[in-house]
Amino acid sequence: MAGLDVGHVNTKSIIIRSEEILGFATVPSGLKAVSSAQEALKKALQASGVLSSELKMIGVTGFFRNMIQKQLNIKIAVPEEVAEAKGAVFLNRNSRTLISLGGNIQKALRYDQDGNLIDIIQNDKCADGLGIFYTSMAKAFGIDEHELSELALKSTKHLSVAIHCPASAESEAIDLICQGIDIPDVADAILRFIVERISAMCTTIPLEPEIVVAGGLAKSRALIKHLSLLLKHDLNVLSTPEYVGAIGAVISCGSEK
Amino acid sequence: MSKYSLKNGGLDWKRAERMVAGVDIGAVSSKAVILVDGQPYAFSQVLTRTPKESSLKVMNAVLAETGLTLENISYIVATGCGRGQVPFAHRKITEIACATAGAVHLWGPSVRTVLDAGGQSCRVIHCTERGRVTDFLWNDKCASGIGRSMETFAYLSKKEISEIGSISFQTETFPQLSDFCTVYAQSEALDLIRDNVPIEQVIAAFHQAMAKRISTLVGRLGLKKDFVIIGGLAKNQGIVNGIETFLKVSRLTTKTEWDPMLIVALGAALYADDFYKGVKSGVSTSNKDESIFSG
Repeated sequence: MAGLDVGHVNTKSIIIRSEEILGFATVPSGLKAVSSAQEALKKALQASGVLSSELKMIGVTGFFRNMIQKQLNIKIAVPEEVAEAKGAVFLNRNSRTLISLGGNIQKALRYDQDGNLIDIIQNDKCADGLGIFYTSMAKAFGIDEHELSELALKSTKHLSVAIHCPASAESEAIDLICQGIDIPDVADAILRFIVERISAMCTTIPLEPEIVVAGGLAKSRALIKHLSLLLKHDLNVLSTPEYVGAIGAVISCGSEK
Repeated sequence: MSKYSLKNGGLDWKRAERMVAGVDIGAVSSKAVILVDGQPYAFSQVLTRTPKESSLKVMNAVLAETGLTLENISYIVATGCGRGQVPFAHRKITEIACATAGAVHLWGPSVRTVLDAGGQSCRVIHCTERGRVTDFLWNDKCASGIGRSMETFAYLSKKEISEIGSISFQTETFPQLSDFCTVYAQSEALDLIRDNVPIEQVIAAFHQAMAKRISTLVGRLGLKKDFVIIGGLAKNQGIVNGIETFLKVSRLTTKTEWDPMLIVALGAALYADDFYKGVKSGVSTSNKDESIFSG
């Protein structure tokens, strides 16, 4: 079975046989989500050595799911919140809260032992695009996202950029660079800004342990460190954190039968 | 990558009296211009990483093209948001003063309003016929990073930054986006894609919103003719046309082959030339850095 998670920024695809992950692939969503979905699926099939004719069922989730479902004639489409909760339980049976850190949307989900949603909160519009913001800051410094996170861990100062808006934070981060502040200290300020926005969102729902984190930003060690400190909770990063939605889409196929 | 330079073959620096340079360390890219006896001789451009490193890189790039060394350059003026980090600069001048100096040099004394639309910030500046600043307005934070958000938008839509401006002309009708907050506009543009709005309409809508945002800034300071646009966004025809439509004005178009991103560095080099002439003739120029209203 295949799962597709067609997000604002990236399209993720995963191939699963019974409970075993065979392969996965990510491509940028671009403005043509349909062709990106086809490409991601093709790459995931190649990675797992499965033929497309062997696919029993495809489930789709993510921001563009309805478009993809219609145009690719896919049977199952589920909202990303539903899929992500299912995926989180699949990857960590004891988890009850998922903090999902996407390119454009951040959310926190609470669910039962079967991955059924209980509660959900999403970022407010002023904090849209935190993932995009993070990538664009890394690009501005001429490094990749992983390096930005690792540099932030080397910071010795405790600087701040705007507390509310990514556009202001970007402008302030650039001001710091222009003043000759070292990149690690600016990187650290950027990550703490993102973390503050995420934790502000998380205060409105009860965080029931175990708490797990997913999405592309979850791969940043520095971000997880700060988020854990600020929320005063232990956080576990799910394995393959960016595929939790795609995995959940596959599981949703299974429960349809 | 985005580095290029051009040598003015008609000039021989070995016989020149004055060799000066202007270095513009912007938030997104760094530029350098060398003047030989007051004439543009060479320029270069690199992406800004950290200001100090980028200032050395852009200076080395322009020198490498000419066979000159740093010792040959008598006077260097640094400008741009990273001007404080340029180790070899003799003097620092704000990008506001340099923008009008460069613009009036290129377009002539009729210029009264200069819009400098860069990667991180936008500035509207009023000036005299001699290029002296009389008033200016900086964008507020909500509108910062328009140039960079264009790059991000191009990346998200898998298009080249140089082509998205013209794609915005492929449609006449398009939906409205928030035109106050760049974060909202970007997020709403992504929403449009989900709603199956054709790509060229989304791109047009985003350009329209950004153009309106910049036009509001110009409107707040007031528009005096003649009007020119410089900075990286001046190369985006979609933005430029949008601004002209909103403000009901035509900008002066470039008569020369100058890249609009280099005008501020040119202005800095012109200041360097002036200062060096003063030094040579023994006229003491005040060593005050950071003069905005120079003159």
